[in-house]
Amino acid sequence: MHDIYNFVSGPLVWVSFIIFFGGSLYRLISMAVLARKKDVFVYEYMSLKFGLRSILHWIIPFGTVKWRKNPLFTIVTFTFHICIIFIPIFLSAHIILWKESWGISWWYISDTAADVLAIVVIASCIFFLVRRIVLPEVKYLTSISDYVILAIVAAPFITGFWTYHQWPGFKVMGIIHIVAGEIMLAAIPFTRLIHMIFFPFTRGYMGSEFGAIRHAKDW
Amino acid sequence: MEKRTLIIYTVITLMGFIFAVMSGYSQEDVINVEDSAFEKKMRPAVPFLHDKHNETAGIDECNTCHHVYEDGKENEYDSSEDQECSECHTINKGDNSMSLVKIYHLQCKGCHQKKKAGPIMCSECHPR
Ligand code: HEC
Ligand code: HEC
Ligand code: HEC
Ligand code: HEC
Repeated sequence: MHDIYNFVSGPLVWVSFIIFFGGSLYRLISMAVLARKKDVFVYEYMSLKFGLRSILHWIIPFGTVKWRKNPLFTIVTFTFHICIIFIPIFLSAHIILWKESWGISWWYISDTAADVLAIVVIASCIFFLVRRIVLPEVKYLTSISDYVILAIVAAPFITGFWTYHQWPGFKVMGIIHIVAGEIMLAAIPFTRLIHMIFFPFTRGYMGSEFGAIRHAKDW
Repeated sequence: MEKRTLIIYTVITLMGFIFAVMSGYSQEDVINVEDSAFEKKMRPAVPFLHDKHNETAGIDECNTCHHVYEDGKENEYDSSEDQECSECHTINKGDNSMSLVKIYHLQCKGCHQKKKAGPIMCSECHPR
């Protein structure tokens, strides 16, 4: 157990961080090069003003027609995205480990609050799953990879919740939790989770083209 | 069994139990690590049978844990068992006691990791 723990909480952390940052940088650069080769106008149309204007509308709940058309989906999407970024960064147990390893620490949320937010994330994942299975128009567009990505995102939260409450098998679950978090980080650059990195650019470009060229709104 | 004998048995067992608990306390054995500097505990207390732990772990010197530093170097001949860790390792301002948590974890978990024996995961030291 000691060897496994030391390995997953030591070298594997570095591997996952390097894959995450290196991979994201690689995807950004190769996308930029591809855009230049295929469509030079991408760079000409890109406008800071129109780009930011569009991003602003899309990151505000109910700030776009699409958000307003589907209120339940909008609420779940926003809380889900805020939680999955917020929980890991402000969880006391994570901060304790960073403090021990790297000497850094900051404000954190109470364990009870983290518990509630984790339930929100897990419930959201179930919502997304049911939506994919039940809604015909979503089911039509769904492939196996969508379920895999959903599982990759849900796993750290389910295993973390399990470990915190010390349900049966919690020691093994603790190890699985660490690995699940590392898999999620490493998966971001190479799956559709890359939208986390690409969002400002794809949205920014849409906003630019609609705003500056078509003189229309894209929200 | 008669009702009366049952009551007598119960009373005797209860008294024996209370005595056992009281004598346990009166010897002031350390059974948990409970630093008074932590005002509100976030995690369950850490069970730590002081003497038994050090015996099974084969730690002979008290100052392996109750250390004293002089000019930045550990003084091998002195020890600080009359002080709580937090008397020297004061909580840094604006640090939410993380600095104190850190030195406990570094000492306890650090040795367990090095020796590859003893608890290393949160749930093992803070059992519910
Ligand atoms: C593995 C580390 C470790 C070693 C080795 C160790 N101690 Fe301790 N000791 C502790 C901890 C932790 C506490 C609890 C501190 C607290 O709760 O604030 C403690 C508490 C004490 C206390 C205070 C008890 C009380 O009732 O508050 C005394 C006295 C003490 N130790 C003496 C010793 C002596 C003597 C030795 C050597 C024979 C020794 N310790 C070795 C870790 C250690
Ligand atoms: C008499 C004062 C004093 C007491 C009591 C004391 N320490 Fe220390 N400790 C120091 C000093 C001084 C240092 C070295 C300077 C530093 O790194 O803060 C140190 C260093 C440490 C370190 C290394 C810090 C690092 O960042 O690497 C750990 C871990 C530690 N102490 C744990 C403990 C624990 C646990 C206790 C209680 C069992 C304890 N200390 C009791 C004074 C004390
Ligand atoms: C210098 C090394 C060292 C330090 C410091 C140390 N431990 Fe240990 N601990 C061990 C070893 C070795 C074992 C395994 C003993 C065995 O079972 O063979 C152990 C076992 C344990 C166990 C398992 C049950 C038992 O009592 O044997 C607990 C709980 C524990 N340690 C808690 C602590 C806590 C809490 C601290 C800090 C206050 C601490 N340890 C500091 C070496 C250390
Ligand atoms: C090797 C044993 C050990 C391990 C492993 C360990 N702790 Fe601790 N922890 C301690 C000891 C000893 C203290 C001091 C307890 C005290 O004085 O009340 C402590 C204190 C704390 C405190 C401050 C006291 C409180 O309850 O608010 C927190 C929070 C904490 N630990 C969280 C964690 C988390 C989260 C993990 C896993 C990442 C963890 N610990 C792993 C031994 C351990």
